[in-house]
Order: sequence, then C-alpha cells, then structure tokens
Amino acid sequence: MKALRMIDATIITGALLGLGGVFLVYFGNPANSGICISCFLENFAGSMQLHDNIRMSYIRPELIGFVLGSFFIALQSRRFKVTGGSSPIIRFLLGFFILVGCAVFIGCPIKMIYRLAAGDLTAIAATAGLIFGVWLGAKYIRAGFSLDRVKELPRINGYIIPFFAVLALIFLLLNPSFIIIGEKGPAAMRAPIYISLLLGLAIGVFAQKSGLCITGGIRNFCLVRERTLLNGVITVFVTALILSLIMGQFNLGVNAQPSSHLSHGWTFLAFVLVGLASTLIDGCPFRQLIKAGQGDVDAGITILGMTVGAALVISWALRSTSAGPTFEGKITVLAGLIFSLILVMVYRKRKPA
Amino acid sequence: MDRFDKFNIAIIALISLITIGMLANQEIIKRRLGVDEAEAAEMALYYAEKMALNAKIYEEVISLKEQELYDEAMTKLQEVMKTYPGKPQSHVYMAQLSLKSGKLADTIHNYRLAVEKDPDYMDKKTPLFIGHEVKELVKESLPKFGREKKLKPKDKTVRNALKDLYYLQRVLAGGCE
Repeated sequence: MKALRMIDATIITGALLGLGGVFLVYFGNPANSGICISCFLENFAGSMQLHDNIRMSYIRPELIGFVLGSFFIALQSRRFKVTGGSSPIIRFLLGFFILVGCAVFIGCPIKMIYRLAAGDLTAIAATAGLIFGVWLGAKYIRAGFSLDRVKELPRINGYIIPFFAVLALIFLLLNPSFIIIGEKGPAAMRAPIYISLLLGLAIGVFAQKSGLCITGGIRNFCLVRERTLLNGVITVFVTALILSLIMGQFNLGVNAQPSSHLSHGWTFLAFVLVGLASTLIDGCPFRQLIKAGQGDVDAGITILGMTVGAALVISWALRSTSAGPTFEGKITVLAGLIFSLILVMVYRKRKPA
Repeated sequence: MDRFDKFNIAIIALISLITIGMLANQEIIKRRLGVDEAEAAEMALYYAEKMALNAKIYEEVISLKEQELYDEAMTKLQEVMKTYPGKPQSHVYMAQLSLKSGKLADTIHNYRLAVEKDPDYMDKKTPLFIGHEVKELVKESLPKFGREKKLKPKDKTVRNALKDLYYLQRVLAGGCE
C-alpha cells in the first residue's frame, strides 16, 4: 500500500514535470526549456549580476516554487529535518562541475527528457551519457564509496535556502535597481509569473513527497532494480511527449533543434559527468533544490556551487552554443571527470584484505 | 590497492593525458595563429575607434581650446554634453578647461568623475591614460587645499576638493579596484 502511494506521488510529480515543461513553453518560456534547472540558475546568476549577459538574466519563479513548495510541505508533514556537514566543499565543487556538464549539453537532465520528448535526437547522446555516468556511480557506491556522514544541525541552518527563495521572490516582484531582468534573448521569454510560480510550487510539493530524481531513478534501478523513481522519470517523458505532439511542439530530427549542437561525443562526456557527480552527491540538480527546501544543508551547499557554476559558465564561456562546446567547456568537463574519479578513490571504503 | 583502484587510476591517467594533450594542442594552435597578437590588435582597434569618435564629437572643443579660447570652448563643451550625456571624455575636457580658467576644485572634481566613469583613464595600458596629468594635479593641489583647510576648516568646497583629491590619490596608487 505504501509502495503504491509512493508510486502515485512519483507518477503525479512526473506528470506535473512533463506537463510543466510543455505548458510553460506554451505560455512563454524558451523552446524545450519549460523547466531547466541549469538554464534557470544561469538566468538567476545573471539577474544577481554574477555574470553580465543580459540575455540570460531573469529570476525564474519556477526555481522559487520548487524550493518553497518542498519547504512548506516538509514543514506541514513534519518531514523538515535539518541535516548537513557531509563534505561541504566537495559538494560545492561537484555542484559547480554538474552545472558545467549541463551547460556543455545546454540543459539539465530534465531538459534532456524534454528535448527527447520534443523529438530532438541530439539528446540521445546525453541520455546515454547520463545512464552510463549513473551506472558508473552506482558501481562505485557498491564498491564502497560514500561521502562523510551527515549530522543533524540546528534548525536555523535549514531555513537559509527557503529564506533566499522568499528574498528572490521579493526581488522579482519589486525589481530593485541591482536586479537585472533581461528584456531580450532567453531572459525575455517567460511565462507569466503566477503560472510559473504556481506550477513550481505544485511540483515542489509532489517532488518532496515522492523524492523524484532523474539520476536517482536510474541509480536505484542499477543498484537494486527498484523502479519507483524510474517510473516517475518515464512519466515525465511520456507526458511531455504526448503534450508535445498535441501542442505541435514535436519536431523529430537532429538539425534545427532549439538550444542544441552536434558535438555528440562531448554531450555524452558532459552527461557522464552530470550522471556520475549527481550519483555521488545523491541527487540531480532538481532533487538538490527539493532537498534544500526540506532542510538538507548539504543540498543547499550544492546549489551554491551550481550557482557559482552558472555564473562562470557564462563569464568564462565554459559551455556550448549552437556552434558546439567551447574549448574551455571541454577542458572543464574533463577536469570534472578527473576530480570525480579521484574523489571516488579517496572516499572508497575498501574491504579488509 | 584492488582491481577497482587500478582501473580508476588508469582512467584518471588517460583523461589527464587527453586534457594535457588538448591544452598543449590549443597552445600550439594559438601560437601558430597568433591569437595573442590578434587580441592585442582587436583591443587597439577598439581604442582607435573610440578615440576617433571622441575626436569627431569634440572637434570644435579641441579646436577652440588650441586657440586658447577657453570660455568659447567651455560653451561648446556644454552643448556637446547635452547632445551626448554621460560621456566620460566630456569630464576630461571640462577638467582641462577648468584648470585653464583657474577653477581648481572643478578641475579635480571633473577628473574624479571621468575616472569613476571610465577607469581606463588611469590604466597605463590603454591610450586613454591621463594618469600623468592627474598625478601632477594631485601633487600640486594637495598641499594647497591642505593649507586652505587649516584656514577655512568648514569650507565645503575645500573639503569636497580634498575628498576628490584623496580619491584620485587612491586610484593612482593602484590596486584591484
């Protein structure tokens, strides 16, 4: 019965994510980017003037909704548990590298599903990379990898990220002079605030209840053949696919796909990094936001790392454009892989001989 | 060290080699194509265009200034400032003309405004550099305004001029601003 309830919550979250992805594009978000944690964090970093690309500067209400939805439901259901202290600087760095991996693909794992559902065949390389990266991470976990132990922390620590989410909402609504809201490029493509926020809140609530995670679904399947979360991931794809077909957003092919490029090898490697790093820190970028809302301070640190990454992928051009990945982006992906593998070696608890 | 570790080390070594190879290759390509020279040329072109535009905008102001018709140059400059508000170069000319008219406090304040709006004026690596004339001004003005402050401690103009001078002094001292 409990498993059934979990399945329900995961499937509802998956359906909401699929629906959100397509409807938010219909209401104004950039094509194939109804919801994209990495793109939205790049927008957020720009609006905070952490980079100066005005085309990528906007406070996406969806992000605020995810955190606050998770926060409120966790409080209400007494699942708000403040923990942290597990290898914070490592999580920060992995958050940075995850964001670079996403920027080299041009999208987070959720956007990868949307792109696939919209017929973008360039996302196949990312899917293969993500699955391989998660599989590798699962192998390392099975071989004894785990970061430092999590501790319970004073409650105030858990309120910081939700507080920042409220502050971001105030900034979005009042638009003070130090906040940049771009009026051209992707930043100007946005669904009405209330729609984005409400959808974000709804997704945040159900994601907290279900624990839906794109990499977590694949990891659980690789580790113990457990399908609950994977069903949610498949639901995201199926819902987005059906809605894309109905709403005329489906365009099968490799060419002429929005925010894509043809460097499939680098897409694969970038998503190996995203899959591996997300498995090592127990959650994809979306899951980190939800966890931060429910009091996980380590997830909060990861979000800070991702935000710094979001700023630097633009400022240092550690990303891809339609022309393909930059040299700096490629090098950073390789550096991220090296870092993750060294980490695995250092943190592996070996069985005594 | 078990099989897992050996596999890991092999993979890390392989990726490291690829990374080093890519970096070395990029450096070779950069040298072959003269990317550094190209960047320098691009920067030079940017400043050449900027200075050419300034020369065009301030053509009459410069001409009047060279003829030592400072009041006429100032009137013309004020017209230009209405047409092109916010241009830092206007403050440089304003400072130079104020100096010729003996308005030292205005000179200092306008240099400050110019430098605040465009730090390139204090950057030796750019052709906009006016550090020498600012340095000279600061050197001469500081003791003068210091003396005046002792005589008129509550004079706002003197106090503001000193604030501007200290600001310019700090900028001249450099740092990571």
